[in-house]
Amino acid sequence: MARRAVVVLLSVLSLLSFAAIKIGFFAPLTGPAAADGASALHGAQLAVEYINSRGGVLGQPVELVWYDDNFKADQAVNIAYKLVQQDKVAVVVSGSYSGMTRAAAGIYQQLKVPMISAYAVHPEIVATGEYIFRVGTLATVQGRAGAHLAVKKLGAKKIAILTIDNDFGVSLTACFKEEAARLGAEIVFEQKYPLGETDFRPLLTRIKAVKPDAIYATGYFSEAARLVTQARQMGIFVPIIGQEGYDSPQFAKLAEAGAANGVVITTDLNRDSEKPIVKWFIEEYAKRYNLDADMVGASAFDAVMVAAKAIQIAGTYDPAKIRDALASIKAGDVELEDFVTGFRGFTEKRESLRTITCQIYLGNRFHWFWEIKDPAIVTP
Amino acid sequence: MLQNIVNALVLGSSYVMIAVGLTLVYGILKILHIAHAGIYAFGALFAVYLYELGFPFILAILLSLVVSSFLGVFVYRGFYKHVLNRGRIVPLVMSVGLFAAMEDLYRLVWGPYKRPFDVYLNLPDIMTPSLYLSSRGVLMLIVTVIVVFVLYLLLMKTKLGKSLRACSNDLHLAGAFGVNTDRTIAYGFLIGSCLAALGGILVGLYDNTVYPTMGSVPSYKAFVVVVLGGFGSIRGAVIASYILALVETFVVYKLGYLLPRDAIAFLTMIVLLMFKPEGLFGKVQR
Repeated sequence: MARRAVVVLLSVLSLLSFAAIKIGFFAPLTGPAAADGASALHGAQLAVEYINSRGGVLGQPVELVWYDDNFKADQAVNIAYKLVQQDKVAVVVSGSYSGMTRAAAGIYQQLKVPMISAYAVHPEIVATGEYIFRVGTLATVQGRAGAHLAVKKLGAKKIAILTIDNDFGVSLTACFKEEAARLGAEIVFEQKYPLGETDFRPLLTRIKAVKPDAIYATGYFSEAARLVTQARQMGIFVPIIGQEGYDSPQFAKLAEAGAANGVVITTDLNRDSEKPIVKWFIEEYAKRYNLDADMVGASAFDAVMVAAKAIQIAGTYDPAKIRDALASIKAGDVELEDFVTGFRGFTEKRESLRTITCQIYLGNRFHWFWEIKDPAIVTP
Repeated sequence: MLQNIVNALVLGSSYVMIAVGLTLVYGILKILHIAHAGIYAFGALFAVYLYELGFPFILAILLSLVVSSFLGVFVYRGFYKHVLNRGRIVPLVMSVGLFAAMEDLYRLVWGPYKRPFDVYLNLPDIMTPSLYLSSRGVLMLIVTVIVVFVLYLLLMKTKLGKSLRACSNDLHLAGAFGVNTDRTIAYGFLIGSCLAALGGILVGLYDNTVYPTMGSVPSYKAFVVVVLGGFGSIRGAVIASYILALVETFVVYKLGYLLPRDAIAFLTMIVLLMFKPEGLFGKVQR
C-alpha cells in the first residue's frame, strides 16, 4: 500500500515537473569539439538558472532539454527529430558548430519549430528559412570587421592569411578578403590548415619569407595558441588578428611564454563591461564550473535568453507564435541590459545586429581595444 | 631548409616513441593494437594531472610512466589474452572499442578541455636568425636518442631481449623451446606502453597541450610507421618515423594543405609499399 502511495506521489511530482517550459539544446559534448560543447552547455544552463531565479517565463520554470551531437551532422539531425517529436520543445538553441547547425536547420524549418544558432557563423544557416535565427555574429560581419581592424586600425598593407579548413574559417576568410581588397590591402599569402593541426612551422616559414604587415588567422583557441606561439618563436612579430574562436581563457594558457600578448581579435564578450548581467555571468560561471567564461558560453547564454524572451512575448507555447515573437525582436529595439554580448535584435533577415568589439590580449586576459559601430560594417 | 629539417626531426621523434612500442607489440602478437594510442594519451593526461596536484615534475612523469606501463599489461592480461586464439579480427575489434571507451573515460575524468603542461624547463632554446628550436623540442630529440639506444641494448644484450626477439620470430616455437611466452608478451606490453606514455608526455610538453582525444591521430599514424618500417622491425619503425616526418613537413611547406598531413602519410606508405611490399626492413613472407 505504502509503495503504491509513493508511486502515485512520484508520478504526480513528475507530472508537475513536466509542466516546466522546455527549451531544446544541442552541442558537441563528446568528440573533438567537446570543450566548446561543454562551454555552450554551461552558458545555456546558467541562462536557464538566471531566468528561473527571476520567476521563469509565463509564470513557469524553464527547463533545458539537451543532447550531445558528438560533432556529427547526422547526429544533430537525429536530435532535431527527437527534440521536436519526442520532447515536444517549442524552441531550440544550437550550441554547435556551423556544420552541425546547418544540417539541423533544415529539419527545424521542415517541422516548423524555431531554432536559434548561438555561435555558428555560416551564412547558409539562417538562409535555410524563416524559422531559423542567429544570435552570434554572421561570418560576413566578422570577416568585414576583421579587415577594418587590420587595415584601418592596424595599418596593414600586406596581409598573410591562415584559415582553418571548415565552414567557420572558410566563410570568415572569404568575407575578410573581399573587404580587405576593397580597403586597398594586398593578400600576399593564403593557406588552409585542418582542424586540430599542431605544427604550423612549415607554413610560418613561408609567411616569414613574404614579410607581411599582419597575419589574419582563423581558428579555435587551441590551434590559435599553437600558431601564435610558433610564430613568435620563429621571430614573426607582426600583429596577429584573430576572431571569436580565440576568445577562451584556455587560449593564453596553451600559448607559451607571453606569446598571446598583443593578439587582437574581433569578438563579442567584453569582460571589462560594467553591465550587471555580464558581471553576474562571469562570476557565476567561474564559481560554478571552476573555469573562466568564454565567448561560446556567452553566446549560448544569450541565445537561451532570446528564446525565453520570445516565449514571454508570444504568451504561449506554440512554435509558430514563438517564431513570430522572435521576428518581432527588431534590430536596435533590444534592451542591452538583458544580454551578456552586444546582441541588439534581429534584422529582417533574422541575423543579429550587434556592435563588434575588438579585444587585445594583454597581461592575463582580453581587454577592450576598439569598437566597430559603423552600420555599413556591422549590419549583416 | 635547416628549420624544416629540424622541425621534421622533432616530429619524427614523436612518431618514434609511439611506433616503436606498437612495433614491439605487433611483432610478438601480430594484432593491431589500436588502444596503444589510448595509453599514449593516458600517459600525458595522468602526468599533467599529477603535476597539477603538486607532484614534482620528474616524479609526476615517472609515476605516470609506471602506471601507464601497468595499464598496458592490464590491457593484455585483461582483454587480448582471452581472445588470442580467435583469429586476428577479434582482438582488433576489441582494441578499437577499447580505444573509443578510453578516450571518453578520460573526458569524464579530466574534462574535455585542453590543458597546458605548465612547466618551466631549465634548458636553453636554440635561437639563431635561421633556426628556432624550443627547449622542449631539444628534450624530445635527446630523450628519443637515449630511448632508442637503451631499447637497442635491451633487445640485443639481455635475456629478456632474447626472449622478445624469439617470440617475435615465432611465438609457438619460442614457447616450445622453453620461453615463458605469456610473461614475455606481458613484458612487451610493459615496455611498449611505457614508451607510448613517454611519447604522449613529450608531445604534450612540446605542444604544451594535453587533451583526451590526443591519441586519435597517432592511433592510425603509428600504423603507417609500423607497416612502412616492415611489420615488427624496430629499426624500420625508427627510420620510417623520420622519413614520414620529413615527407610531411616538406609537402606542407611546398604545397600547403592541398592534402592533409595524414593523407600524405598514407600516400607515402602506399607508394613505398608498391616498390617494397614487405616494408623497409621487413622479412619477405613465405
